[in-house]
Amino acid sequence: MQRVPFWNYCVFVAAATLSIGYARAQSHPAEEPMVAEVSSGHAGGRLVLAMRSEPKTLNPVLAQDAPSRDVIRCLTADLIHINRGSQKTEPALAKSWTASRDGRQYTLRLRRGLRFSDGQPLDADDVVFSFQVYLDEKIDSSERDLLVVGGKPISVEKVDQYTVRFEMAQPDAAAERLFDGIAILPRHLLEGAYRKGEFANAWSVSMAPAEFAGLGPFRLKEYVPGQRIVLERNPYYWKEDGSGHRLPYLDEVVFLFVPNEDTQVIRFQAGDADILTRFSAENFAVLEKQQAAKHYHLDDLGAGLEYNFMFFNLNGVDPKAQPEIARKQEWFEDKRFRQAVSEAIDRDSIVRLVYNGRATPLWTQVTPGNRLWVDPAIAHPALSVAHGRELLRSAGFSWKSDGSLQDSHGRPVEFSILTSSSNAQRVKIATLIQDDLSKLGMNVQINSLEFHTMVDRLLTSHDYEAAVMGLVSGDADPTSEMNVWMSSGDTHLWHPNQTQPATPWEAEMDRLMQQQLVELDHSKRKRLYDRVQEIVADELPVICLVSPNILVGASDRVGNFHAAILDPYTLWNIDQLYIQ
Amino acid sequence: MTHRHKLWAALALLVCLHALVFFAGFFAPYDFAAQNRDLTFAPPTRIHFLDAAGNFHARPFVYGLKNDPTSADGYAVDQARVYPMRFFSRGSAYRFGRVLPSGLHLFGVDDPGRLFLMGTDAFGRDQFSCFLYGGRISLMAGWIAAALSLLIGIIVGTLAGFYGGWIDQILMRGGELFLALPWLYLLFAVRAELPLHIAGWQVFLLLVAVMGLVGWARPARLIRGVVLSAKERNFVLAARGFGASDMHVICRHVLPQTYGVILTQITLLIPQYVLAEVTLSFLGLGASEPIPSWGTQLAALQQYYVLSSFWWMFLPAILLVPVFLLYYAAADALQERLASVPL
Amino acid sequence: MKYLAQRVIHAMALLLAISFFSFALLQLAPGDYFDSMRLNPQISSQALAGMRSQYGLDQPLPIRYERWLTALLHGQLGVSFASRGPVGPVLRLRARNTLVLSGTATLFAWLLALPIGIWSATKRNGWADRFWGLATSALLTVPDLVVFLGLLLLAIRTGWFPTGGMRTEATDGLGYWSDAKDLARHLILPALAVALVSVPILIRHIRAAMVEALESPFLRAARGHGIANSRLLFRYALPAASNPLISLAGFSVATMLSASALAEIVLGWPGLGPLLVESILSKDIYLVVAIVMLSSVFLVAGNLLADLLLFASDPRIRVE
Repeated sequence: MQRVPFWNYCVFVAAATLSIGYARAQSHPAEEPMVAEVSSGHAGGRLVLAMRSEPKTLNPVLAQDAPSRDVIRCLTADLIHINRGSQKTEPALAKSWTASRDGRQYTLRLRRGLRFSDGQPLDADDVVFSFQVYLDEKIDSSERDLLVVGGKPISVEKVDQYTVRFEMAQPDAAAERLFDGIAILPRHLLEGAYRKGEFANAWSVSMAPAEFAGLGPFRLKEYVPGQRIVLERNPYYWKEDGSGHRLPYLDEVVFLFVPNEDTQVIRFQAGDADILTRFSAENFAVLEKQQAAKHYHLDDLGAGLEYNFMFFNLNGVDPKAQPEIARKQEWFEDKRFRQAVSEAIDRDSIVRLVYNGRATPLWTQVTPGNRLWVDPAIAHPALSVAHGRELLRSAGFSWKSDGSLQDSHGRPVEFSILTSSSNAQRVKIATLIQDDLSKLGMNVQINSLEFHTMVDRLLTSHDYEAAVMGLVSGDADPTSEMNVWMSSGDTHLWHPNQTQPATPWEAEMDRLMQQQLVELDHSKRKRLYDRVQEIVADELPVICLVSPNILVGASDRVGNFHAAILDPYTLWNIDQLYIQ
Repeated sequence: MTHRHKLWAALALLVCLHALVFFAGFFAPYDFAAQNRDLTFAPPTRIHFLDAAGNFHARPFVYGLKNDPTSADGYAVDQARVYPMRFFSRGSAYRFGRVLPSGLHLFGVDDPGRLFLMGTDAFGRDQFSCFLYGGRISLMAGWIAAALSLLIGIIVGTLAGFYGGWIDQILMRGGELFLALPWLYLLFAVRAELPLHIAGWQVFLLLVAVMGLVGWARPARLIRGVVLSAKERNFVLAARGFGASDMHVICRHVLPQTYGVILTQITLLIPQYVLAEVTLSFLGLGASEPIPSWGTQLAALQQYYVLSSFWWMFLPAILLVPVFLLYYAAADALQERLASVPL
Repeated sequence: MKYLAQRVIHAMALLLAISFFSFALLQLAPGDYFDSMRLNPQISSQALAGMRSQYGLDQPLPIRYERWLTALLHGQLGVSFASRGPVGPVLRLRARNTLVLSGTATLFAWLLALPIGIWSATKRNGWADRFWGLATSALLTVPDLVVFLGLLLLAIRTGWFPTGGMRTEATDGLGYWSDAKDLARHLILPALAVALVSVPILIRHIRAAMVEALESPFLRAARGHGIANSRLLFRYALPAASNPLISLAGFSVATMLSASALAEIVLGWPGLGPLLVESILSKDIYLVVAIVMLSSVFLVAGNLLADLLLFASDPRIRVE
């Protein structure tokens, strides 16, 4: 038998050890956490929040309601995140990315060494799996539409263990923002259910904490039906503060379920809840008086993204089927009529009486809170009934001896405003408008209908004359409102689903919206969208009225509290909050 | 007090109540839709007889109201501005008895003074005027619904009680079915289908009518009970023995025995349907702005801050009690009166 | 026995009819649950159509009803769109809360009404009787809504009672005794409210039944025999007066799920009332039908129970 030389043996052992070590390092590489720009704060403490209704599910792909999303945001993380404070995108799970020249391909590099909350490592397979689930037509996630660019869903491809490439059918200026909110799911826990077709039942609210694994700052600890949901710190969270301490600071977050906003306010006042997110102006007035005594502070953050408006039925209705409406459209389609209405509406009264002063008047759809897109050059014509009358006179209207308005054919100007009976504020706005327009001699009636009936009339039967409504964009970026401003859009409220733009200004808006979608230079995009805002302010397809301010409150002992006007307003930096 | 006195007293008071509401234009100092946007949620105006110096004035007066951000309710009395109350004064135009245009009001103060007996709401509208005008809609709603449900109840109950057998079974089972179904949906459906050009108050009354139409089950049951015992009475049997037709027996012999029950039922059903109107308003099916009704006034209380900060908004709820009291007293008096009359 | 079988069959037929008509009624008003999402510019109409067909909302009414019926026979009540899950658990939780409230309220009401009714009957036309007569009339006149709003105002202004909800969430988990105390604190006001609504009628009926029993010949005879008053009252009069009271008790059971609805809505108790209104307004149709069916089951069962109890306790009925 040949004896193996000793030093051969050593080399062999050394090589083996080295290769094993190398392999080990590859599967558990050193962690590359993200460093958040915060340095004050210390670990420990429990944050309590009162939530107006219970989350319906903890499945990020299926969740649609706000409470579910609020909790899920604390439990999961996305590749690229929109920093609510700056309203811009920043790296999250993806540490960097490159876009191809034509803007259709994005190659994202994941941070290495990250783990889910159950200790399992994260890699590109999880990313590919997550997108596969989100894009699956059978699962029908509401997020799926967001991932459809240029008519085709984006394609996802694994390049290597920590790199993923996304490809789109056409360039998208807001492509980075698509990734916000798309939670990366643990393949090791969910792939089984997905293959069996049982994904819809996965991650319900009552799941066992051990079944859950996420990349968010917290993980599920306890759920008591009808009462609360408790989250605990995720020991594997991939962010650390400026001094190298691993975030989050908080040990626990408790969401208490309360029946309504008034109870939320009562809990906050009593000190049972630490943060109050978005409450009404009346409650602000009540809470304001006791700020110092009860050691909490309130913030009025100014206008959010919501805009309330009035609009007229500009659909091409069949004169035989709906003769009254077709007749009145002769007035509605005249820009001077709409302008007169806009100038007669007292927006300051709406701000004062409906929102207790805690709202911002608007003349176009982008609110001052949307810092990246607001156009300060838009004109703000003052309240002027006299000028309104002049406009009407020039459009052929005249007044009878009793002061009522009639058109050039002698028919009295009367129409109805549709609004949802369940939204008390919109009904109030409509009541104020009714009174304002009576000064122009118009006889306005208010039809407050049950919400679903109203939607049916607006979008299906088009059986309405005017309506008061509001919209909130999901995101500050104009691309999230394509369906509103494109004439072919479903939510192009005054005349949806057009096959061809009905008016030259709608055709122009279509062009502008398509252009801004693919224009990658921000300043050029801004100019395009500014022009859209000008058209809206000038042609008045919607007469913008007010935007309610975002009102939040926090106990004095909550540190690093920097509320933002984008959803989720107060919890977006929950990993940086601490108890003083 | 004898039965007859009680009854006439109750009826007289009811007539007064309805007159107050019918002639709301005269009794109310302001139009129900008149907004005072600077005087929202103003507390009720105090009427004074003694001025600041302690002098007595035979003609009562009110002080002006001004906005004061530092005070608890946001208002302060301005003693420099004195407005004496005027009776039979000229004010906003309305139609007397819904026909004659007039500008006469029982009482009021000169502009720019304001007399808010029950304070104002979110738009600065005088709640006292809204209460009076609102009574029109609410009481009309009660009457219409009560009449409709009673009418159908009489027909169904008489048929069921008189013929008995399977007709009775079907009608009574049908009644149970009607009692159990969620009619709210029907109301939403009716509301949804109505065209845009019907006035707000007409829409509302239509909804109330629908409520009355589906509420026949309870009156029917009662009437059926009466008819069951009435048809066994001797004179009825005698009439049938003589070969009188069913219709004749029903109309001339059986129905008159039910009049007592019908009358008391009306006085009980009207307040019930007024309450139902309030519930409809709570759910958003009430009269649309700016038409006031007792229901819409109470519906404003759904919001906590209104209930807790502005106590005068609760007054319409309290004022409902004497209205109901009058109806129930009339019903009681009627019952006693009828019980004392031999049948 | 035959009578019982007949009643049960009638009850089943009634429930079936209720289910069908409720279903039909719910389709009358246009629109469905997913319409609320149509106004979201970020959800396309195709996605909505997909969601609709996933829940079978694009099928015509008879097919949907048939599917629902077969599911019901398997013990499933359908899906709630709002909670994206089966109706059963939601219903169970809320029904439990409502039963807690109305059970307590019924207990309060009878505990209050029985002594007062009996006392009024024994002291009839005395000052006590007059006083209670006036008090019940006054309470009857005040509409339920005003009573509830008044109690709510009391709670808000004085702060003696918690306003809304079933638990003070922050103090949960400290042990059964403190949990029970906390529940009791939240329960008092709503239970009082619901009890106050039924107490006047109960008192009147109890008094009337007792008066009739006390003035009946057999009782006079018993008194003539020299039997003590208290024994007379409890061993002779009360059982004789129990006939209408038993049917009243049966009706209490029948209306156990529906009577407290308005109180729950106004006072913020998380029971079936607010759930029904919420699901009607959001067009969560299967949940609405389930709630209506559940209330109807209680209604029918309660009536049946009342009739059965009467049958069992009153020999006069058995003879007929």
